[in-house]
Amino acid sequence: MKSGNKDDPRKTDGSLNSLDRRLNQTLKSVQGLLKVPGKILLSRKGTEPAAPSSSASSENPLRKDIDDEAGTGPRNSGVQSASTSKVDAPRSNGSNRSDGVVENERPSSSPSGSTGSGKGSSADSSRPSTGGRATDSARVARFRKELSSPAVNLDALRELAWSGVPPDMRPTVWRLLVGYAPPNADRREAVLERKRQEYVDCIPQYYDISDADRTEDERTMLRQISVDAPRTVPDVPFFQHPEMQASLIRVLYVWAIRHPASGYVQGINDLATPFIIVFLSEYLEGNMENWDIAKLTPEIVNNYEADCYWCLSKLLDGVQDHYTFAQPGIQRLVFKLKELVRRIDEPVSTHIEQQGLEFLQFAFRWFNCLLIREIPFSLVARLWDTYLSEGDSFPEYLVYVCASFLLTWSDQLQQLDFQEMVLFIQHLPTKNWTHQELEMVLSRAFMWRVMFQQAPSHLSSG
Amino acid sequence: MAYRSDDDYDYLFKVVLIGDSGVGKSNLLSRFTRNEFSLESKSTIGVEFATRSINVDSKLIKAQIWDTAGQERYRAITSAYYRGAVGALLVYDITRHVTFENVERWLKELKDHTDAHIVVMLVGNKSDLRHLRAVSTDDGQAFSEKEGLFFMETSALESTNVENAFKQILTQIYRVVSKKALDVGEDPSAGPGKGQTITVGNKDEVTATKKVGCCSA
Ligand SMILES: Nc1nc2c(ncn2[C@@H]2O[C@H](COP(=O)(O)OP(=O)(O)O)[C@@H](O)[C@H]2O)c(=O)[nH]1
Ligand SMILES: [Mg+2]
Repeated sequence: MKSGNKDDPRKTDGSLNSLDRRLNQTLKSVQGLLKVPGKILLSRKGTEPAAPSSSASSENPLRKDIDDEAGTGPRNSGVQSASTSKVDAPRSNGSNRSDGVVENERPSSSPSGSTGSGKGSSADSSRPSTGGRATDSARVARFRKELSSPAVNLDALRELAWSGVPPDMRPTVWRLLVGYAPPNADRREAVLERKRQEYVDCIPQYYDISDADRTEDERTMLRQISVDAPRTVPDVPFFQHPEMQASLIRVLYVWAIRHPASGYVQGINDLATPFIIVFLSEYLEGNMENWDIAKLTPEIVNNYEADCYWCLSKLLDGVQDHYTFAQPGIQRLVFKLKELVRRIDEPVSTHIEQQGLEFLQFAFRWFNCLLIREIPFSLVARLWDTYLSEGDSFPEYLVYVCASFLLTWSDQLQQLDFQEMVLFIQHLPTKNWTHQELEMVLSRAFMWRVMFQQAPSHLSSG
Repeated sequence: MAYRSDDDYDYLFKVVLIGDSGVGKSNLLSRFTRNEFSLESKSTIGVEFATRSINVDSKLIKAQIWDTAGQERYRAITSAYYRGAVGALLVYDITRHVTFENVERWLKELKDHTDAHIVVMLVGNKSDLRHLRAVSTDDGQAFSEKEGLFFMETSALESTNVENAFKQILTQIYRVVSKKALDVGEDPSAGPGKGQTITVGNKDEVTATKKVGCCSA
């Protein structure tokens, strides 16, 4: 990717806004790896009002699917109006996919601290990465400043957290991002206390009752949860502790009972695990492998479980129809994914189609488990940082993430026939992935979203 | 176990693995295709598949086995993959009676979504857990006879009867298909490399595929 940076639109915009900055950072970090065929025009679509905070969304149990589908949610408009950006793709893979002309490229001005400290300008290196961004000292300072504010600015926090949260701040940041803890510091403790109590009260009411007092459906659900608990992150021994198993079952069962529209669906157990490890990290030190939940007092167990419960609830509120009958939410996103891939990478799309491979076949699990199953467990907390920062736009962003993920192997896929492809995609070679590869996928997804939301035949037309 | 290369087969059969969650479908599959068993496998989400080829009557049969998620909520998704199956292994767990009770519902699923001529085998898995047995062999046998199913008890863990179960169902499919083949001429609609298509029953999809020639791509 070349960087010619005439015509900086900021001249008229005044200061570089946050999305602009994030885009910049993204463009930098994917330099040379960008697989965007052709040129893309990112024109401005009038001046949209500043994106209202999407934090309100999490208070709303019924998601606004329509908004998401149209791709015109408030946050999106923010992105759209962020800048006109040029991406001149280095390789086009023979594709003729082109949605316009390039207009302008962001300069490489890097906002302090958010670009990974100069590393990774070309991501081809095999340099180990342990989430350098998240622990960059300037960024850490910004997190601290934000978190110590009497009223946390959620937009600013999202913007920061999107690129990774320092591990020790994750519990606090996540509780804020999902709208479980209030931004107002004065109210925070009281609210958390009340909500934790609400969860704790559910346990005797729903869980600690005899089977005879459950309905047939409830028994079936509890049975299913009990079958899945031992199969949750089975490769991490800590999850197999009897106390941990019991804890997981409680959280899932209470969630299921209180969300009868979907009830428990397999895979939701996986989605609870990032919350479990992050909220337990407040009380247990050192390597997760050596954690012992039995050491915790009942009160601490209650608190951590309540946090998991509420944050899981908030996350799932945004994707409720992924888990209701026939899982329409997933079907819709799979459809969008297919369309998006076709627009980004025509050759691979054609190949997949010619081989008769349905996107649903591989992408179903991706959406159902939010890609958790496809990457090493050590990376899921980092993945959640970005997901939770997306707020309302999360389902729509997820489509871009899945496209970015799939197209990581665009070249390989084109060499494989139907069966080889299925086998390959079932076990993608991500075992040795580090934050670097994951962040690459996330950044590219972000960038594609910016580009395609402005492209003429918008994805949402489907 | 050395298997012949993927493309080298006489027949390709699609077989589905169905039954309640946790009965051991995925482990039966991994035992058969990779000789692996895992006490700590993850639940199956959606569908997955694996293949293995075996010899029947000096013909090389390639089995393309589709493993499915067991939970009710997934039926809408998974049942789409029953299409074109010529065989089904319907698995229950001999230590959990409820999984046996649900067999009838699974049979109905099959009836609704597959061809009537599909070969079905009822499989009572986890036979190694003798002390926990909740469904007797006789009950499994009797039910199978009543419903006209093949029957076998297996242990994916101890590798008991797993090979037998798959071999038996593939052999039965082969019988049905090769008998059928006598009535079917060359199928002009078969694409290059796809071989001769033989449908069991009269569905439109490719159910069992016979290779024509030896070196098509
Ligand atoms: N003892 C015993 N356990 C088994 C056997 N087959 C599977 N399991 C265990 O049963 C659980 C569920 O197995 P899985 O293959 O995931 O079931 P699925 O949901 O039907 O695919 C896992 O913990 C397996 O280790 C078996 O033959 N014997
Ligand atoms: Mg399974």
